[in-house]
Amino acid sequence: MKKITILLICLSFTAFSCNDELDQQNPNYQTTEGFWKTQEHAIKGVDAIYNSFIIDGSYMRMTPALTDGRGDDMKGDSPWLDLIQVANFNILPTSGPVEWMWSAYYQAIFRANQVLEFVPSIEMDEAVKARCIGQAHFLRGLAYFQLVTNYQQVPLITAVPNVSTDFYNGTGTNEQIWALVIEDFTAAQSMLPVSFSAVTGADANQIGRATKGAATGFLGKSYLYTEQWSQAAAEFNKLINGSEVNVYSLTANYKDNFGPYTENNSESLFEIQFQTGSGTIKNYGGEPSSAWMQVSSVGHTYAMEGYGYSDFLPTRWIYDEYKQERTVDGHLDPRLLVSIASYEPSENSITVYNGAPWVNPQGNIYPRKYTHDGFGVSTESQGGVEFSEINYRVMRYADVLLMYAEALNEQGQTANAYQYIQQVRDRAHLPSLATTRPGMTQTQMRDQLAHERALELAIESIRIHDIIRWKWLYNPEKLAMLRSHDSDFNTWTPGKEYLPVPQLELDVNPNALPNSAN
Amino acid sequence: MMRITNLLNHGFGRNGFARLAVIVLLLLSVCNVHAQSGTVTGTVKSGADNSTLPMANVVVKGSANGVSTDLDGNYSIKANANDVLVFSYVGFTNKEITVGTQTIINVSLSTDATEMEEVVVIGYGTQKKADLTGSIAVVDVSEAKKTSTSDVSQLLQGRVSGVTVTNDGQPGAGPNIMIRGIGTFGDHQPLYVVDGVAMQGSVRDFNPNDIKSIQILKDGAASAIYGSRAANGVVIITTRNGRKNAPLKIEYNSYYGIDQVAQKIPVLNRVQYQSIVNQKRTNAGFTLLPGNDSSSPLFISDTDNDWQKIGLKDGTRHNQNFNFSGGGESMTYNVSLDYFKNEGMFVGKGPSYERYSGRINTTFEKGIFKMSPSVYYTHSIENSLTFRGDVLTGGRPPLINDLVLAIPTMPLYDPNNIGGWGGTKAEVHGTIALNVPGINSLFENWVEVDRTFAIVNPELKLVNSNGHELTYKLNLSYDKTITRDFSFVPQFNMGYFFNSGKSLLDDNSRIFTNSLVENTLEYKKVFGKHDVNVIAGQTFQAQEYVARQAHSENLPIPYYPVLSNGTNQTVGGVETKSNIASVFGRLTYSYDDRYLLQATIRRDGSSRFRKEIRFGTFPSVAVGWKLNNEKFWNVSENIVSQLKLRASYGELGNQNVNGDYRYQAVINNNIPYNFNGSIVMGGLQTSVLNRDLTWETSKFTNLGLDATLFKGSIELTADYYIKETSDIIVGVPIPISNGSIDAAPPVNAGAVRNSGLDLELTYHYTGNKDFSFDVSGNVSTIKNEVVKLGGNGEPIYGTGAKTEVGGRIGEHFGYVYEGIFQSAEEVAAHAFQSGGTSPGDVKFKDVNNDGVVNGDDRAYLGRAIPNITYGLNFSARYKNFDFTAFASGAAGYYVNSALYRTLMWSGDSVNASTDILNHWTPENRNTDIPRLVSDDPNGNNRDSNRPGWLQRGDYLRINTVMLGYKLPLISKVIESVRIYGTVQNLHTFTKYKGFNPDFNSGPLNPGFDGGSYPRPRSYMMGVQVSF
Repeated sequence: MKKITILLICLSFTAFSCNDELDQQNPNYQTTEGFWKTQEHAIKGVDAIYNSFIIDGSYMRMTPALTDGRGDDMKGDSPWLDLIQVANFNILPTSGPVEWMWSAYYQAIFRANQVLEFVPSIEMDEAVKARCIGQAHFLRGLAYFQLVTNYQQVPLITAVPNVSTDFYNGTGTNEQIWALVIEDFTAAQSMLPVSFSAVTGADANQIGRATKGAATGFLGKSYLYTEQWSQAAAEFNKLINGSEVNVYSLTANYKDNFGPYTENNSESLFEIQFQTGSGTIKNYGGEPSSAWMQVSSVGHTYAMEGYGYSDFLPTRWIYDEYKQERTVDGHLDPRLLVSIASYEPSENSITVYNGAPWVNPQGNIYPRKYTHDGFGVSTESQGGVEFSEINYRVMRYADVLLMYAEALNEQGQTANAYQYIQQVRDRAHLPSLATTRPGMTQTQMRDQLAHERALELAIESIRIHDIIRWKWLYNPEKLAMLRSHDSDFNTWTPGKEYLPVPQLELDVNPNALPNSAN
Repeated sequence: MMRITNLLNHGFGRNGFARLAVIVLLLLSVCNVHAQSGTVTGTVKSGADNSTLPMANVVVKGSANGVSTDLDGNYSIKANANDVLVFSYVGFTNKEITVGTQTIINVSLSTDATEMEEVVVIGYGTQKKADLTGSIAVVDVSEAKKTSTSDVSQLLQGRVSGVTVTNDGQPGAGPNIMIRGIGTFGDHQPLYVVDGVAMQGSVRDFNPNDIKSIQILKDGAASAIYGSRAANGVVIITTRNGRKNAPLKIEYNSYYGIDQVAQKIPVLNRVQYQSIVNQKRTNAGFTLLPGNDSSSPLFISDTDNDWQKIGLKDGTRHNQNFNFSGGGESMTYNVSLDYFKNEGMFVGKGPSYERYSGRINTTFEKGIFKMSPSVYYTHSIENSLTFRGDVLTGGRPPLINDLVLAIPTMPLYDPNNIGGWGGTKAEVHGTIALNVPGINSLFENWVEVDRTFAIVNPELKLVNSNGHELTYKLNLSYDKTITRDFSFVPQFNMGYFFNSGKSLLDDNSRIFTNSLVENTLEYKKVFGKHDVNVIAGQTFQAQEYVARQAHSENLPIPYYPVLSNGTNQTVGGVETKSNIASVFGRLTYSYDDRYLLQATIRRDGSSRFRKEIRFGTFPSVAVGWKLNNEKFWNVSENIVSQLKLRASYGELGNQNVNGDYRYQAVINNNIPYNFNGSIVMGGLQTSVLNRDLTWETSKFTNLGLDATLFKGSIELTADYYIKETSDIIVGVPIPISNGSIDAAPPVNAGAVRNSGLDLELTYHYTGNKDFSFDVSGNVSTIKNEVVKLGGNGEPIYGTGAKTEVGGRIGEHFGYVYEGIFQSAEEVAAHAFQSGGTSPGDVKFKDVNNDGVVNGDDRAYLGRAIPNITYGLNFSARYKNFDFTAFASGAAGYYVNSALYRTLMWSGDSVNASTDILNHWTPENRNTDIPRLVSDDPNGNNRDSNRPGWLQRGDYLRINTVMLGYKLPLISKVIESVRIYGTVQNLHTFTKYKGFNPDFNSGPLNPGFDGGSYPRPRSYMMGVQVSF
């Protein structure tokens, strides 16, 4: 019996000591308990939000692709059916790209909400704190701006979920989302510096962070999209004629806005930063890691056959539109060959990519904006596929000028609008609008602005939003015009101008509502 | 002298009983000596393999006069002419021979078909099969081993009722095992216990030739002793041991075979392909692709590749096995060496699987001490079928789909491409198609596995007096697996979509460690009619995982693919650990060999859950009633020799969360961005999670019946079960709007009830010496119902599948087919589908009658899980010939085939099934295949039950047909030689238009066939020699 007793003692001893072994801490990661305590954490948190803007669903690929595809300046030409269907307004809510885009912006919102919830209570330099919170507001505002303009109505989430019952947020109305967007950009405007070159702290000189100018531009744009013309004009006026954020100017060369060597320039209010040279894992999405690349695949998606996938083609209409007016010295609008690759012997433009001969049929046209064609490299792929370091310009001063002109025109100040349009035309060496089309009515000016915006902002993920907010699709005359621009509009039916709310969201979230495109 | 009970405790089944019987007889023979007239001598052999039987019993009928055979099976006994000698050996049928004038009587005993005294391993002990109260299936290993496979678990297919095995035919691929239906949405693989040690993960590394027995614990009562991880059932594997007091026996087994793809998917040739794609594009208003446009200078007329013919070849399979066994009085040994190789059927570097393994199993005993240490080592190399998620994007692999879908106009070679392989060109073909033989020749992907598994298990008989027996056993095991995952992609160009401007090298390693410490005490005693056995124990199991990744790029040509030769060298690593600590106890009690009771309890703690909810307690109880041992039972033993009723209830757990630490919220501190080119690392929480994750619990109720009829010629086992699993652990998709990277964090979501009937029936024909046969069949039904779902009770969606309360797991879900629109009027009259809907498109039902066909109009479209599975085995022996035929099948389910749907979809310009030639046109209206249109504006491709989108999966497969012949003895050195030929997967009767109707898939979309490697038809020749 003695042996048994000893054994039982041994048994119970091992059993107890084993229970301590059941406490296992994850050796790979810091847990959340120790985070959001220092200034470093605050900055890291903000930087992590930016990361959501360089994944597939956001600016790496699908935001430009799904937005440009729907405009009358671009049409689908891809073996990937989703890219065809999005362009002809028949995309199904089960589409992967549609889901990725939705997912990317909600990822940014989840991250921004963490910063907005946890950073205010961190003890740290108050100026740095304000800048962190300001950026979080800006980036959340930008994410909701993309969601509301592309999906019309979406779940409204402003807090970090604590328990699983918090996972099922209800859809906000279009007005509620816009109110949040305006609130966020207003907060950002008040908290952000004009430039990070002028600040001191860990974030000093970090060009590419959201600034007061960026917040002002987007606040104005949000007012414009919600037709609050005077507020819109007031914000744009700060950028053009104001005293603090009037730091922007058009670059001399239009092309500088889409190239890799002239990024974050005087015309740029905000851009998404891409770069090559670091990382080995493509930044499509998933759990980020230090091995991630930070590349864009827009160039490869758009570039002509032989150099890229050519998933979209410019429409013949936009090509012809550029040719309507000649420059003051009798040339083609210089923006044509920056935006579109076409065979133009008259302009001495008969090569592609570093002097390679034009191999595709000479009548074909391809997107050139955001590709490397014309930047001295001989291939789009740069050592691999889908690698582009070209920053995506989210807002340019040229857009601000045209939006200001529009806000003025809508308030009846049509004559006053001319000068701002003309600044944009001057850069394209186009004649004075006051001379060629003096005394336009408000309606004529609207059409003129539509024309100017189409040429200046082609293939920049803007056109379909202009078409939607101008309600052209519900104006039979304009709809017929769109159909003549781009046959993709023949299969448009009311409501389908938006991307459908992903079926997975609707299936999983009982509080999410479909939109008109579902 | 050793006591009877002591012998019983040795627990090595047949041998233990043999020794017992011998000693009893020896004892008796001492007391009873009759006058004898003569001496009879002879040899006792096994009729199964002609081996001699040492320690077999020879006794004069009706007397206590008996002897046992020596090591060579020889005996000598005194007997009269009118005496009848009874020859017996456990596991064999007794044989009676009248002495007459004979002085030499050689006897061949045939194996006992009734298995009445068979002992089965039940986990922490053994039990007589006749005394089982739980639902335990014993696999006929000798029959199962007739299947050639790299994976032990594949042997189970069709062998046992209630066990479903699905697998494709890829060399080295692990099958998917389901015991009694899908009880969980997560990992539903059973727990494997090899020689008493619970395994982590698969048993692929084990050599099937080493197996002595396989038992499957199906119900709660049987499995409860493994509580925490037994909810999906337990497969107990015991490997071979040597025999005591037996001379060295050498066995050599070898086979060689050819694998062929038995089936070809009919696809279009060049002319058909070009015509179909041209029609699609014309109908969509697109220009023709130049390669298909006969008016274009780029038109292709000189390439017409049949990719299935180019890309597939005959594979081979090959096995060499040596086994050395024997033993002395105090030790036994069994040493095996094995080599297995399976070359796959794809042209190029993979897939193939090659394994070397060696095992040493020993037993030692002296006095109160005993142990059976063993060590197993294996080395394997698997050349995977090429994959590279970062280069082959767009849902690849499976490459089998790409091979079938490749277009006939794509060239195989192209000297202008880096690497020399052909591909498509955007400006010519306009189609993304993969040159599979090319990519499979360019890429190098292999996994090398080294696994060492050792067990030391000393036991001591602490008390052994007055019928009390108390045994202490310590079980220590250590199982280490080291893998090297190698992948090299040279710089290559295959035209459109598939190219890499730089070479990529990954050389990764993974180390899995599984260690076990286990202490058990067992007490036994027989008090009159009461037979009691109590076992109590403690176990602690630790699992560690370390992974390291190393990556390097831009290696210079010529390639020397080692890490140092590249640039952009990056490394990664992860480390996890999880532990389970448990205590358990079991009482087994029987009264008068009539009433049986077994009660078990186990308490487990898992490090995968937070402290407060870390422990789970899992009780079970089972009872049995041997009706045939009752006094009132007056049915003749010749009609019913055994009849037992069983009932059990048990609760089991499951802690199979995908990953450790899933309840801990963490910060990712490596979230990169850059400001004007200078990199910063952001950090915050990237995923939401559920802190309250805890055990999954399964409640089992089982009612069973075992019967042996007509002198053992018919055996019947029937079980009805209800298995209800609650707190199911599964990653439930949360709304995407949470912005969580982990879009489906694990939660305890809901409950599922499975119920069904398992039937096994065997008929043994032992009619005469020259001819005998066995027929056995098993059939299982499964009824599956989701009782509850977690979170807000929201349904869970899979690929074209939906799981919701009141329904079945992963039932097909989508739009309802209503025919093809024949006219514009019909389109206009129907609910709105899309702005581009035209005649020839699919008409979907407006289920909710709101005038619009959208996501709200989806409905359930059919079962995804077979409601019946079955297996049939026939084996016969005629003189020196033996024959086996084995078939299995399933019925009552539909399959959603990704391959067939792509082949029938007009939205892409990859190749198509020849079925598409019968598409709708204004002239060909009598068809269920919609019009051809490239942009598919109507969404004809959406998940629906349009013909072909869901197909009946029912199948019957002739798995094995084998014919063997035992050669007459040719030399004294060679004991026996058997040669055989086998055809595996001879034919599958099915209407399914994919490769395998029993493909592998995820638990939430069990009916979705994403593309499975063709299961080969194998022709094999083999030889078995023993010395």
